Amino acid sequence: MTTDLLVIGAGLSGLMAAQTARQAGLRVQVIAKGLSSMHWAAGTVDVMGYTAEQMNQPVPRPLDAIQALSAAQPDHPYALLGAHQVQAALNEFAALADDLGLPYTGAATAGDNLLLPSAVGALRPAFLAPRGQVAGDASRPEPMLIVGFHGLRDFYPELIAENLAKQGRPARAAFLPLSLLAEQGDRNNVHLAQALDDKSRRMKLGSELKRLVKPGERIGLPAILGLDDHAAAFAELQAAAGASIFEIPTLPPSVPGMRLFKALRARLWQQGVRVDAGMEAIGAQTIPANGAAGRVQWIETATSSRPLRWQARGYLLATGGILGGGFDSDHTGRIWETIFDLPLTIPQKRHQWFRPAFMDPAGHPVFSGGIAVDGQMQPVDAAGQALYSNLWAAGGALASVDPIQQHSLEGIAIATGVAAGQAIVRALVRA
Amino acid sequence: MPIHTTSWESVGPTLDECIKCNICTSYCPVAEVTDKFHGPKYTGPQAQRFRENGQPHSPDHSADYCSGCRVCNEVCPTGVRIAEMNARARAQMAKEHGIPLRNRLLGRSDMLGKLGMIAPGLANFAMSNGLARSIAEGVMGISKGAQMPKWSTEGTFAAWLKRSAASRLKSERKVVYYHGCSTMYYEPYVGKAAMAVFEHNGFEVIVPEQGCCGLPLLNNGEFSEAEKYHHRNLGWLAPYARQGHQIVGTSTSCTLTLKEEAPDMLDIHTPEAHELKLAVWDMFEWLRDLHQQGQMKTDFQRLEMVLPYHPPCQYRAHFIGSPVMDILPLIPGLEVRESHARCCGGAGTYVYKKEKFQIAMDVGEELFTWVDQQGPQVTMTACTSETCRWHIESATHLPCRHPIEVLAAAYGLYDLEKRRLVEG
Repeated sequence: MTTDLLVIGAGLSGLMAAQTARQAGLRVQVIAKGLSSMHWAAGTVDVMGYTAEQMNQPVPRPLDAIQALSAAQPDHPYALLGAHQVQAALNEFAALADDLGLPYTGAATAGDNLLLPSAVGALRPAFLAPRGQVAGDASRPEPMLIVGFHGLRDFYPELIAENLAKQGRPARAAFLPLSLLAEQGDRNNVHLAQALDDKSRRMKLGSELKRLVKPGERIGLPAILGLDDHAAAFAELQAAAGASIFEIPTLPPSVPGMRLFKALRARLWQQGVRVDAGMEAIGAQTIPANGAAGRVQWIETATSSRPLRWQARGYLLATGGILGGGFDSDHTGRIWETIFDLPLTIPQKRHQWFRPAFMDPAGHPVFSGGIAVDGQMQPVDAAGQALYSNLWAAGGALASVDPIQQHSLEGIAIATGVAAGQAIVRALVRA
Repeated sequence: MPIHTTSWESVGPTLDECIKCNICTSYCPVAEVTDKFHGPKYTGPQAQRFRENGQPHSPDHSADYCSGCRVCNEVCPTGVRIAEMNARARAQMAKEHGIPLRNRLLGRSDMLGKLGMIAPGLANFAMSNGLARSIAEGVMGISKGAQMPKWSTEGTFAAWLKRSAASRLKSERKVVYYHGCSTMYYEPYVGKAAMAVFEHNGFEVIVPEQGCCGLPLLNNGEFSEAEKYHHRNLGWLAPYARQGHQIVGTSTSCTLTLKEEAPDMLDIHTPEAHELKLAVWDMFEWLRDLHQQGQMKTDFQRLEMVLPYHPPCQYRAHFIGSPVMDILPLIPGLEVRESHARCCGGAGTYVYKKEKFQIAMDVGEELFTWVDQQGPQVTMTACTSETCRWHIESATHLPCRHPIEVLAAAYGLYDLEKRRLVEG
């Protein structure tokens, strides 16, 4: 199949790159092995939550921290792009999210990190959050009422409230019956969110919340306030309860992550971009570099019969790292990138993967290693030369950052996804 | 006694890839509408821990409610073969509890086809007769609401081939056509449209002797019988594969069975089975390939219409994308709108089972609502799979065509309304 850009991976970085390239008029196709790790994430945009120097204190202002980091860690993806470009990409994301009807906002003081309650009552730093989560910010003074549902797995309001109270954030817990949301017994978060797409159900829930809440309290609920009709569900519930409401992201599957994924995918569909899941890339044909950069000729995905060949003018590798399945390893400690076998900065001996201390603030080499790229987001060799003239990489697969430890997963995905998309447009539109 | 050890061992261990993220359950269209199916994660990788090949009882009977749509496999980020686990669990249950007469009947589409063709008018009358259907539901558990296919009243596809033998195209370029049971007994016009498209593109069509692919048997857990069917087809078709012929089918489920389901589920890994697997193509997968080589004719007439198209679930297991969407939009005037609904609900023989009929209707709601939203200018829909077409027709009250009929019409060779070749 012939197209301008083939994006491999349907996570946040891949979808942002696809959107950037499509907007510039390129023909784009997205393929992915399964649906993306956005389904596991909280739906917030974490830009920089912690630094190795200070793992016990959240970063107060992420963009300032990026500026500081650029000198010390010149290979970090943020340093390759610069704080200005990161900020511009985040602005683009926020404008797109607005347009998709899933508005994201930051802290009351512009540039600060939000501190949002997690499903165990910890406070997570996030730079941008869906509107439905922002009222949970720890900088607000109102006491919290955390409401759970009897029989809903993995959401325990008492645990959350108690942990918040221990951190000096007054909170109490309450329960409602699950039958308010569904007649069926065995429902997960996504099913409950779908149930609240139904107006009559959310009115019932709203009046129960009104009964429970005391004046001046804000209400924390599991993030199940509608799947496809979230904006209306959220507004109507707040009106019916007569109080501010915030969603607390749950264990996977995460409804806020899924909402964003579905909205981004729907936007790409509208613009004629196919997003095909179930496509596992199993090999690639490249022309080797003879002094200059080589070229990717095609990649192949597994089918029920012969492999299916995909050809494009440019390829974006956005398959993630270990978490996303972009890397694989064996028992000897060998670890490799699964499609192009690109060089990785990860040590190839198992004893070198980890530092001795589990919670070492410097993190572990196996998680911070990955694909080294240049400022154009093109994978490079040890000498810093681009390996293939038509291959780019973005997101969790990149080297020199452990985005989970740093709480920078979405920031990296958005910044490098947009940057790769723009670099691809420059290369392919000009050509 | 252990059955099909190799396939058990190829599928079972993928449960270790499961990270319990629940994406599968979140997208499963069946678990969304009923408590009777506990969801792919529980029934698949989790219950699989308690299953052992040949063990006397199966731990989770809700596997019987899995419709086999494979949304779970598609969305799984780690490659767990959930739908296959459920299929094997059903085979184990069938072995343990026996197979009800109804499922034995539904599993034999070739036999039903032949029986009805003895007196198709009478058979169609019986199948559309409320009283007869009520009796079938009461006695056999065959849901009376499900739309039965209509036996062809113009004779079988094979009979038409024989009649038209003299006018068939002779050419150096040859292709083998696998039509399957539904084209043979119910919808010979789909086969005629396919023949017209092949020949229009300059191919001589070989239609070898062939039998049911065995998928309905596999779906109903009758593995031993399905094995006989596949071996029979290997005898007929493998020689063509060996000679380097491409074997192209219009039924997405038959082609999937020949490619993967039968050899994989039944441990048939002979050289012949492998050659056949690699030689089989879905009709639109084959056309897309032809088009990429610049050899597909595009001398289309304008077709002014909006056509909602639903890609059937089997395409998910082919892993070939949506080839119909790479071809039909080439037709001028035609606006093809692709459905992103997860499943029509019909799921082969699923909808014909009394206890599952309502589930099938509820699952399909997403698709039926979408079709409705496409507006009053829509006069027909399209889907590549026969049982899905019948189910979609009965639920939307709109005719549903195979995309090959649409393509043949665009070549000016086929009357899309009357479902027959244009004379001349």
